[in-house]
Amino acid sequence: MTAMSSAGHSRERHALLLMLSVLAVLAILHIQQGARPIPATVMLDAVLSPDRDAFDHFVILSLRLPRASACIVGGAAFGAAGFLLQVAMRNRLAEPHVLGLNAGASLAVVLVTTYQPVVLPDILMPFAASLGAAGLFGLVLALSALGSGRFDPVRMVFFGIALSALASALVSAILILNEDTLEQLRFWLVGDAAGGGAAAVWSILPAVALGLVAGCLLMPQLATFSLGESISVALGASVHRTRIAALVVTALLCGSAVSLVGPIGFVGLMAPALWPRLHQRPSLGAFLLVAGSGAAILLAADILALGLLAPTELPTGALTGLAGAPVFIWLVARRLT
Amino acid sequence: MSRFLMPPPARNARRLALRLGPFSTRLAVRGLAANLLLASYLLLVVWLGLSLGSRPIPLATILAWLRLEQVNDTDSIILGSLRAPRLCLSMLSGAMLALSGALTQHVTRNGLADPGLIGVRSAAALLIVALILAWPQAPLALRPVVGLAGGLLAGLVVGLLARGASPLKFVMIGFGISWCLSSALVILLASADIRSLQRAMMWLAGSLEGADWPAVRLALVVFVPTAIACLGLARQAELLDLGAATASALGINQTRLHVACLAIAVLLVATSVSVAGGLGFVGLVAPHMARFLPRQGLAGRLICATLIGALLVMVADLAGNVAFAPIRLPVGISLAAIGAPVLILLLWLRRNRI
Repeated sequence: MTAMSSAGHSRERHALLLMLSVLAVLAILHIQQGARPIPATVMLDAVLSPDRDAFDHFVILSLRLPRASACIVGGAAFGAAGFLLQVAMRNRLAEPHVLGLNAGASLAVVLVTTYQPVVLPDILMPFAASLGAAGLFGLVLALSALGSGRFDPVRMVFFGIALSALASALVSAILILNEDTLEQLRFWLVGDAAGGGAAAVWSILPAVALGLVAGCLLMPQLATFSLGESISVALGASVHRTRIAALVVTALLCGSAVSLVGPIGFVGLMAPALWPRLHQRPSLGAFLLVAGSGAAILLAADILALGLLAPTELPTGALTGLAGAPVFIWLVARRLT
Repeated sequence: MSRFLMPPPARNARRLALRLGPFSTRLAVRGLAANLLLASYLLLVVWLGLSLGSRPIPLATILAWLRLEQVNDTDSIILGSLRAPRLCLSMLSGAMLALSGALTQHVTRNGLADPGLIGVRSAAALLIVALILAWPQAPLALRPVVGLAGGLLAGLVVGLLARGASPLKFVMIGFGISWCLSSALVILLASADIRSLQRAMMWLAGSLEGADWPAVRLALVVFVPTAIACLGLARQAELLDLGAATASALGINQTRLHVACLAIAVLLVATSVSVAGGLGFVGLVAPHMARFLPRQGLAGRLICATLIGALLVMVADLAGNVAFAPIRLPVGISLAAIGAPVLILLLWLRRNRI
């Protein structure tokens, strides 16, 4: 037993190291990419001893670095949210985009931006978005548990899709009725990391950090879930309370990510799918691994979005959708047998 | 699940037998009455659609215009080139989507199957947008052909991937395909140059905004023969309710029947997409709403679903026009706002049967 778990730990450590190095390489690639070629030495210079007057430094510090960090923060939050959701619901198909959390968060952001019931400081926007995500997801859960009294994974997905469609119809209606908001949010809505700049990243960071720390704290409790509900009750875990806490943290992570980079889907589905047998042994290391992989996936998608058709920028969300939908199909089809 | 899919055949419904020489037919009285009621609602909505708007037009003028009498020029232009084609197109596209949904649900015995939802629509849209971008001057009639090709391909892929799957999983795989294709569509749109992009965007979102008589004619040319073919096939397809073994013992070639019905369903969706862009929920919701009406045979149910689909889209378009008066919501949005709650209500009412 000890030998096995130590082997597992060392494998986990290797995976974490691998993930971190990939993440670093992708971040450097992301920052180097752009219309203006900037040598790596200048890049290092800009980060270590920034010079406000040098144009290259300006490009890196106020354009490229914020975008890369938005991708990293948003991707980590999406990945972590997806993994938490999957472990807590014991459902590999659970993903913020599929289950309507993204749509709920966007609806909340659009509502707050358009009607401004209270003037929210930027730092509270992720919390408003999280409320929207939690609200819509609560509705999905309530509907899918009705009648049978348990959470059927596939029914949950179906209701998630139906309610997402409703929420996005409302978003479109609000945007058509208020052209100012449409101008403001048009690019954000298709999933675009370029939006806010450094200020947006900073204002989102506390919420994401809070979510990640809470997720780490929950992980030992959630680990027993993989053994099945009755065993985890026998082991002394309070299933109900832990599940609710995990869902709240998921909503927080997902809401913050959506308010930063827009409703980008499928990152939370792809990131855990990269590593085999992660769901059988959910642990703190696995959680961090998935968060890092989410960041790497979003960085890679953004690199492609910027570079694929060079002068034209593609929406990042479309690329993750193109890559993530087959993963979803694979997960569904694999469960057929 | 199976009870959710297949309503038991109308056993207790009162039937009326009509005989004329060697021919005879039986009609379910209450079902017939329900269909007539729906048709009269349709007339009511047609009247509302023609008369409501930024310039209200009284019924007398509409009737005079319909009898091809002389009415004043403004009204005649508003009716003839703005409201009437839009109304016809919304009616036809709703009818086509609902008919295809009802047919697919019956043949696949899956109450959640809707070709509009499982990727057929996205595939048709993707190919049609590619056509618009690559060849802007392409004749309108080419669009449903291209859409049909895409739709059939997507349907085949979903069918292959989901062999032997439960109904819900079949739909999930369809959703996956649909997501993939719509992401591809976004990328295609983003990479296109601006002028052709505007044309494609208008068609994608504007849907009924650009309604004109050629589009109506195209929809009519496809809808009328396929609807007649559906009613012709209904007699055979109804026997599928008895189970595969009984149906083939009664002389039904099931493979041919399936292929014919699904091809018709895809053709209907492709045509509707090519004239009106993407409209969701109709094909899924209309057949289920039809089940709340008195029971009748498959032909009657198909007609009923078709009428409900036409009503849904027309009412949604009307609501989108009237709700925020100077601004018109695209029909896709008001349709989702009406259709999604209805879908959730339906699923909730039948929650124990899924």
